[in-house]
Amino acid sequence: MLFETILTYPATPEIFLLGMTCIVLLADLFIKQQEKKITYWLSQFALVGTAVLVLLLYNVPSTLLFNGSFIWDKTAALMQFAIVAINFFILIYAREYIRERKIPQGEYYLLSLFSVLGMLVLVSAYSLLTLYLGLELLSLPLYAMVALQRDSTECAEAAMKYFVTGALASGMLLYGLSMFYGATQSLNITEIAQVTSNLSSGQELMLIFGLVFIIAGVVFKLGAAPFHMWVPDVYQGAPTSVTLFVGTAPKIAALAMVVRLLIEGTPALVHQWQEVLILIAVLSIALGNVVAIVQSNLKRMLSYSAIAHVGYMSLGLLAATPDGYASALFYMLAYALMSLGAFGMLVLLSKSGAEVDKIGDLRGLNTRNPWLAFMLLLVMFSMAGIPPMVGFFAKLGVLEALIGAHMVWLATFALVFAIIGAYYYLNVVKVMYFEEPEIQYPIVNRPIINVAISVNCLMVLWLGMFPSGLIDLCRAAFAM
Amino acid sequence: MNLAQIFTDLVFFSFAAILVGSALMTIISRNPVRSALFLVLAFFAATGLWILLEVEFLGLILILVYVGAVMTLFLFVVMTLNIDVEEQRSSFVRYLPFAIVIVAMLVILMVYVISPGHLNPSELTTTGGQPVNYSNTTELGMVLYTDYAYPFELAGILLLVAIIAAISLTFHGKGNNKTQNPDQQILIRREDRIRMVKMQGDKK
Amino acid sequence: MNQLQTIIYAIVLFPLLGSTIVGLWNKKISCRGAHWVTTIGVAISFVLSLYLCYQIVFAGVPTYNFNAYIWGGSGSYQFNIGFLLDNLSTTMLVVVNFVSLLVHIYSIGYMREDDGYQRFFSYISLFTFAMLMLVSANNFLQLYFGWEGVGLVSYLLIGFWFKKETANFGSLKAFIVNRVGDFGFILGIAAVFNYVGNVDYVSVFNIAPSLATQTMTVFPHTHWSVLTVICILLFIGAMGKSAQMPLHVWLPESMEGPTPISALIHAATMVTAGVYMVARMSPLYEFSEVALSVVLIVGATGALFTGILAIVQNDIKRVVAYSTLSQLGYMVAALGVSAYAAGIFHLFTHAFFKALLFLAAGSVIIAMHHEQDMRKMGNLRKYMPVTYVCFLIGALALAAIPPFAGFYSKDAIIEAIHHALIPGASYAYYCVLLGTFVTAFYIFRAFFLVFHTEERMDEHTRAGLRESTWVVWLPLVLLAIPSAIAGIFLVGTILYSPTGGLLGTSIFILPQNNVLASLAIDYHGPLLLALDSVFSLPCWLAVGGIFVAWLLYIKFPRAPAYFVEKFSLIYKVLLAKYGFDDFNQVVFARGSLKLAKVFFEVGDVKILDHDLVDGSGRFIAWCSANLRKLQSGYLYHYAFAMIIGVLVLLAWLLW
Repeated sequence: MLFETILTYPATPEIFLLGMTCIVLLADLFIKQQEKKITYWLSQFALVGTAVLVLLLYNVPSTLLFNGSFIWDKTAALMQFAIVAINFFILIYAREYIRERKIPQGEYYLLSLFSVLGMLVLVSAYSLLTLYLGLELLSLPLYAMVALQRDSTECAEAAMKYFVTGALASGMLLYGLSMFYGATQSLNITEIAQVTSNLSSGQELMLIFGLVFIIAGVVFKLGAAPFHMWVPDVYQGAPTSVTLFVGTAPKIAALAMVVRLLIEGTPALVHQWQEVLILIAVLSIALGNVVAIVQSNLKRMLSYSAIAHVGYMSLGLLAATPDGYASALFYMLAYALMSLGAFGMLVLLSKSGAEVDKIGDLRGLNTRNPWLAFMLLLVMFSMAGIPPMVGFFAKLGVLEALIGAHMVWLATFALVFAIIGAYYYLNVVKVMYFEEPEIQYPIVNRPIINVAISVNCLMVLWLGMFPSGLIDLCRAAFAM
Repeated sequence: MNLAQIFTDLVFFSFAAILVGSALMTIISRNPVRSALFLVLAFFAATGLWILLEVEFLGLILILVYVGAVMTLFLFVVMTLNIDVEEQRSSFVRYLPFAIVIVAMLVILMVYVISPGHLNPSELTTTGGQPVNYSNTTELGMVLYTDYAYPFELAGILLLVAIIAAISLTFHGKGNNKTQNPDQQILIRREDRIRMVKMQGDKK
Repeated sequence: MNQLQTIIYAIVLFPLLGSTIVGLWNKKISCRGAHWVTTIGVAISFVLSLYLCYQIVFAGVPTYNFNAYIWGGSGSYQFNIGFLLDNLSTTMLVVVNFVSLLVHIYSIGYMREDDGYQRFFSYISLFTFAMLMLVSANNFLQLYFGWEGVGLVSYLLIGFWFKKETANFGSLKAFIVNRVGDFGFILGIAAVFNYVGNVDYVSVFNIAPSLATQTMTVFPHTHWSVLTVICILLFIGAMGKSAQMPLHVWLPESMEGPTPISALIHAATMVTAGVYMVARMSPLYEFSEVALSVVLIVGATGALFTGILAIVQNDIKRVVAYSTLSQLGYMVAALGVSAYAAGIFHLFTHAFFKALLFLAAGSVIIAMHHEQDMRKMGNLRKYMPVTYVCFLIGALALAAIPPFAGFYSKDAIIEAIHHALIPGASYAYYCVLLGTFVTAFYIFRAFFLVFHTEERMDEHTRAGLRESTWVVWLPLVLLAIPSAIAGIFLVGTILYSPTGGLLGTSIFILPQNNVLASLAIDYHGPLLLALDSVFSLPCWLAVGGIFVAWLLYIKFPRAPAYFVEKFSLIYKVLLAKYGFDDFNQVVFARGSLKLAKVFFEVGDVKILDHDLVDGSGRFIAWCSANLRKLQSGYLYHYAFAMIIGVLVLLAWLLW
């Protein structure tokens, strides 16, 4: 009975993960181990266990816990599972990389576990307080991870920029939240939603004022223009294994923040945040796609592409229909998967002494390792939105939602920039397949890693050919 | 408007003025030690405001933790390192007018939003008027370990993470042991070790 | 699955299977393998279609209409792949398979030592598949599939010798002219779908009478009967495929393909697709007198004027090709007076005798070492007796001399037009009447020039002259038999059977339009009909044509040159084929080329390429280069940007 209660208690995954993280911490400190094997396997066990618990909980009906500050619903379940699963892959990819570069392994695993915990908390947060704490718990380890390669000044610079701008954004968010609290007298999102539905104009003005600051904080985390400035520098400056971490799962968590604060928290202000999101989406799509073209550094190019992708994702949000939200969620999950594949590939290709981060470094990848080249091709096609990859359906979904919301001009705009964006993705493919390699020796990886990256990239193809399952899950998350 | 009300307003505005002024001075003063001290002053002013709002526990904590511990440590570091901030000032001055415009606009917006014209103060519930034996500390403790247990735990984890992060960034392993690293030794190249310098020679 | 279903699947799929095997493994499979696989595939298909035809037509199995599977969906409507097996389609299956089988066999000899041997067999089997799909379709979409399929293979086969420039030109011409027709056709189908909401024959036919009363606006301020528009659009498709004026120009050029192709595609089967289609659509055409009139006039005009062109041709295949145009005109004219059965009957007999003529011409061409000019032949009867006899039978049938097959069908057409009351019928009657004379004249002109008169070939060719091998002459003999006697056996059942006969209930005719029924009153059996015809005008005109040909080319061989000189203007007009080709060349080809050039140079190169494509590329690159400067790398810039961002958003929302 007790066991069953535990398995149906919605906070079990978080509790399990916290417990396991503490065990990992102690094990890392006190057990002597070669190459941190025990830490690594324990961390992976923690993630797999959490994922299994989330899956077991999937059918538990929506519940509020901890005095209404924690929610368990389908959105949370889907996002939590995606976050944990993605981090499982990240640890596989990153292991060799951090070992070769003398990045403290134990700390890397630990901090990433803590960050994942923060994401889970954030995804399930249903009061302004837990939301903020979750965000900080997610961000703080990230700042440290970026700086973890101590002998690199670039990493230190990136970490510094990330930390300061992050602190600023976090301050803005807090300021916005305080405005919300001031106007509604409540921290709880359920209550805020109730209160906002009948407000005096003065309070509404105050809420809108706070809303802008909140959006600024959230959008910073998503990395969309005009709060994107940290993205290229951090992506490029951080060790690729950390970029891999920063560029994938946290975006899903940040989307959760949008869902909780805007969609569920302030449906009464939908016209206001819709307008702001339009501006943000337009700026992000245009800026991301255009500036990505001139980048020669692959990580930097992908960072601008990330900005553009977040812009596309927010198109789904601003359609302000359940279908739109579902398409945004689908987009985010798809993007996280693609981004995982792309950065994961960079991590795998970077061998000791030869960092792969320029586009030119991919030259002739096809002759060096045809399979990996093909996998990267799948990911690039998907990012460019070419069927039958998942990226195509992601774009299709948000565009459909937009047209459904009678914002055809925005859809057209998005489409035009998608075409511009295709240029730099295809450029990567061109470089891989049609140019001669500078270094001839083949790339060899451990089989397990090859399996992981293949599964990752083939998922991009598989979900593109059979997207309906995931689409249904996303729809279920926003079923009204 | 009675006398007590006037007195309260007076206290509020003087503390608020001190807070804003010292915060401003923290940013613009040239000497880091002086900035730090202004920050201490700002904390004190904030404490004054909080006590005015009858949240004496938070006010005291602010002084104990920030002024007593954090700022002391901060001053200690600043004095030890002797940071010279002169160089950064040039760009500060260059951007100052622009910054002032932006800040001014922000302030105007804020005032516009929170002005009495829009926001009826009566809509906001006010604190105060508690009974004499009311203990702010007890009440805080009561909710902190019941209603807010979850955020409280999270804050604890956050602090743990902060410790781990700080240590992992600063801790450089156990001392300077002299073990050799064969990996590095094999990878060494001739160019890294010796540099051939062409001497001009003495002939002239 | 019921038995008929299995059979029809087998009938259409065996040729496809053969084609696929030979097409995909054409390097691996030997020449013998290639012709065996495809020929056996078609042979099986032929036998099965005979059985099917027997079942439906004679054993009294009712018309069988079924959907095989759903091909695709659009909105709520689902497009089916299905088959309609009735008297008309099953008889057509037999004819198509029969001619195709003989052409397969004949090609074994004709195409020997050709480089593209396997490719050729793959193509003709593919053609057979497409034609069978066309014939057996139960909806417009599948009809269109077959329609385009045969068009495609026709293009491939005309350009079969793709190293020959004329062949490339011919194939392009065929394809492009057919596109014009197909454009009308697809518009017609679209109109059907638009007004009926369905493309299945049965549902469309059921609704046809009500369509006749509906009107639509094609041009502003005009009202057209929907049915008329549909019928005419569909007929434009038929004009392309069945080479009716003015879309006939591609057919003579198509003779650049191998001769078996001329026989199979461009005489016996594909070009009759239009005739078949109109007959199939008789429930639609019956309700639109305007459309029928158009059909009649186009057909009759073609019948006469393209026949006249055949007189001045010197290439043996071209003579036969123009004669095909003329005969197609007869068929179409028959459709125009609601004598669908007569049109189909002529289609059958024509398939036999025209295939025979083509294959016989091919036989001559092989013997002459691919020389096609009749002025370099003569007196071939001495060398090729079998071919001679077969060609003669074909020629007699074509000239409608009783009791050969062509007589019965053509006579019925002429009589039907004579009795018809539809507008344009009298004009059409004179056309087809004169046509009989012209037909007899040109075909016997060719006959005499090739097989009689003195030998005009060079020594080398003469030395090699001999009768072709059995694979070549066997099909000739097999075709000669139906060309001679098919009419006698079929005329009663197809045309004058009170119970519907061979075509059964496949064809729908309004009582007031039924001219054949009025002719049936005078019908007392095939032989009497042949005897009666001795007193009829068309027969005398035909005999007259033969006589004149004999006079001019045997008796007074110098006479033609005299006439050419005397009527040089007419001769030139005829040589220029009434100027259709030149007109097309100048107006359409060159005009569109010029137009295209303008669009290309101004629209494409200047505006699109330079300004829009390259320009947008340049613009984006410029933006990109400038926007990246925003990312200065200074932390305080970033912080500043964020604050400005907040300010902008605030201003955006609060104002």
